[in-house]
Amino acid sequence: MKRNSKSVANILTLLAAAGLLVFSSLSIAEEAYDEDTYGPKAPIVWAKPVKGVVFYHKTHTMDAGLDCDSCHNGEMFEMAAGTAEENEDFTMDSLYKGKYCGACHDGSMAFASNTRCTTCHVGVKGYNRLTGAAPQGEAAGGH
Amino acid sequence: MKIDDLEKLKNEGVENLPSEERRRFLRFGLAVTGVFVGGSVLSLTSARDAQSSMGPVPAAGKFPYTPHYTMVIRQNRCIDCERCMEACVSTNNVPSYGYRTRILEQERTIARGEKERVFMPVLCNHCNRPPCVRVCPTTATYKDKTNGIVMMDYKRCIGCKTCMAACPYNARYFKEENRAVDKCNFCVDTRLAKGEKQTACAAACPAGVRVFGDLTDYDSEAYKLIHRPEQVVWVLRPETGALPNVFYMND
Repeated sequence: MKRNSKSVANILTLLAAAGLLVFSSLSIAEEAYDEDTYGPKAPIVWAKPVKGVVFYHKTHTMDAGLDCDSCHNGEMFEMAAGTAEENEDFTMDSLYKGKYCGACHDGSMAFASNTRCTTCHVGVKGYNRLTGAAPQGEAAGGH
Repeated sequence: MKIDDLEKLKNEGVENLPSEERRRFLRFGLAVTGVFVGGSVLSLTSARDAQSSMGPVPAAGKFPYTPHYTMVIRQNRCIDCERCMEACVSTNNVPSYGYRTRILEQERTIARGEKERVFMPVLCNHCNRPPCVRVCPTTATYKDKTNGIVMMDYKRCIGCKTCMAACPYNARYFKEENRAVDKCNFCVDTRLAKGEKQTACAAACPAGVRVFGDLTDYDSEAYKLIHRPEQVVWVLRPETGALPNVFYMND
């Protein structure tokens, strides 16, 4: 009986320690996002050539471990948001040829640009949600 | 077991009966009564319906119309850019409150609890057995006898909206300007009659989601797509028995 209560206490301590670990790692994850290190927290949303495509810095820097100059290297993306979509060649075809997102999204480094379309393409509905734009007409909200 | 003993047994109910079992029982009943009334009156197990057990795509040569228009939706390519909706609106004079086609959005949980977006284009399915046509009291909506397009005769429509309630695909709206219900007609008046081979939405799609075609033309892309080996093809709401002509697939 005595031994039992001792082992129960042991388990409890272990559990508490584990809980503390999980809790502290959670609080670290919440607090540690630093815009200077990881880039803007707000999503980048493109409307051209199709509405709308989303990019999260967090997914690529903090989660995937890329540095700023992995993409902001004078070749792929300018620092100013929305610069790429002014280019004529900001298209899926360019991505398939290894430009822009296609430099990594080639099927070996990251999922290929011609797969999992809706991971980045959030559509007009997603664009309106992210930018706070009102949907056009009643059709967008049903009838 | 004697009848007295049987009566003492607890009723098992039908909750635990597999639906397959119940269906077989019902079908058996229908087969028996069907024989009595000549077979065609209770045609709930007709050959047309029996096709659905072999998947939603009718067998080659079993298309009731010539041309038999269809639209194949390659769903996983849809990115909700809504160019199809814009093209439809401008081609068919659709008011801002109405629609002939829409994109539905769905979120699906995939492995490791991640989420995946799915966009689903929806339009009139131009069913072989359209519930909207069956309920129309004035025959304002009807199947075109040649090509099977579900048409609207605005002059006959009294605006009762019963067809809107009957449509399994929510593909109809009431157009105030016409004082009549309006719906997709595969651009038959605005494009096909002028020699175009595609609907406005299919022509506008940048991702090749919508493939419009004729199922009696075995060389058409639409026919080939849904008849590819090992290709999974589905329709929306097959349980209504409407036998829709818009087929969905991923590729």
